[in-house]
Amino acid sequence: MPEYETSARAVLRALGIELEIIPGAVCCGAPIVESFTSDWVYLSIYNLARAAAMGHGTVVTLCGSCTNALSRADLALSDDAVRIEAQRRLEPLGLPLPGHITVTHLVRVLSEHQSALRTHIVRPLQLRIALTNPCQVFRPGEVMQFDDPMNPVTIHQLVELTGASVFDYDGENECCGATLYLADGRLSLAAGRRKLDATAAADVLVHACGNCHLLLRHFQRAITKGSDRKPQETLFLSQLLGLAMGLPEYELGLRENRWR
Amino acid sequence: MALKHPEDCIRCGVCVSVCPVEKVGGHAIVTFLADPTAPEYSVWLCSSCWRCHESCPVAIDIYGLMMEQRRKEPPPPGYRDAHEAILAEGLAVPITQRELDEMRAFWNLEPAELPKPELVREHLFLSP
Repeated sequence: MPEYETSARAVLRALGIELEIIPGAVCCGAPIVESFTSDWVYLSIYNLARAAAMGHGTVVTLCGSCTNALSRADLALSDDAVRIEAQRRLEPLGLPLPGHITVTHLVRVLSEHQSALRTHIVRPLQLRIALTNPCQVFRPGEVMQFDDPMNPVTIHQLVELTGASVFDYDGENECCGATLYLADGRLSLAAGRRKLDATAAADVLVHACGNCHLLLRHFQRAITKGSDRKPQETLFLSQLLGLAMGLPEYELGLRENRWR
Repeated sequence: MALKHPEDCIRCGVCVSVCPVEKVGGHAIVTFLADPTAPEYSVWLCSSCWRCHESCPVAIDIYGLMMEQRRKEPPPPGYRDAHEAILAEGLAVPITQRELDEMRAFWNLEPAELPKPELVREHLFLSP
């Protein structure tokens, strides 16, 4: 999803934050590898070790699942047995065991820079925005330690910064159902349909997770097949903010969006 | 191997009421927690939203319980294939370095290096 990365970078750059890619990063392992072995954690630990080797103490992810997995891996490293095993696996790769790494998500970084963001809003948006929260950024609360895990407000605040109003609907805090697709496509599309039905009267459905994007945008045609409903426009949160900040559309990856 | 009902679970059903799978007619592990005699449920039916885990009034590690049970059961094809791809190439949805380079150049993004194919199998998943 290059439009997510390019828009996130553009918005963060305006705030003076530059991102560097972790070279050779692997899939974080959750929930796929985690479903087969507890060794999944060494995938995420490897990513943290590569970030540490670059001299970074913070990792920002765009995906909710990666934030969650890397946070749990960072916590797992406080267990001596995990540290010993991790060291055994990292050493032949020339990587030292990472110390504590702060793992955060784009939404969290943006929420920490709300006052700066406000000064960059030059084109207030007259839109009704339905939002869907990236589940794993907020839960489990004991690990993520961010916002109210069952009723988060951060994205509401960020959407309102743009001048847009938040479209309230039942099920805003429900999961879109994207990950369910790995086990049952029909149920996953049914979960996506609930979200699209509930938000049909909004101008745009805004999300902040690659999995939500996959289901609610790329699979939208499969979800609404056979119905005469109009397509629901979707945007990443970073694209919405970038529009209100007057950033150029090519930097926001908006070339494939119908709505401007 | 059958899943053992957790002793601390009070079968209150809060987990069922917050589960997105249950809302569309599927039966996840929460069906079993609320009623251990329920005839049908699957530990694979889950969207990893952690709402059941977060809502449990007696703090059952529902996510952990589900993952432990998955490791004892045959996976659905979607999980099996994504797992195989991660073992083989480090990515759930594989892409070649050339494809990635072309895509990132098109979007004016800095180049990114893919993981070495042998990384996961030969280094990160060592046998004891």
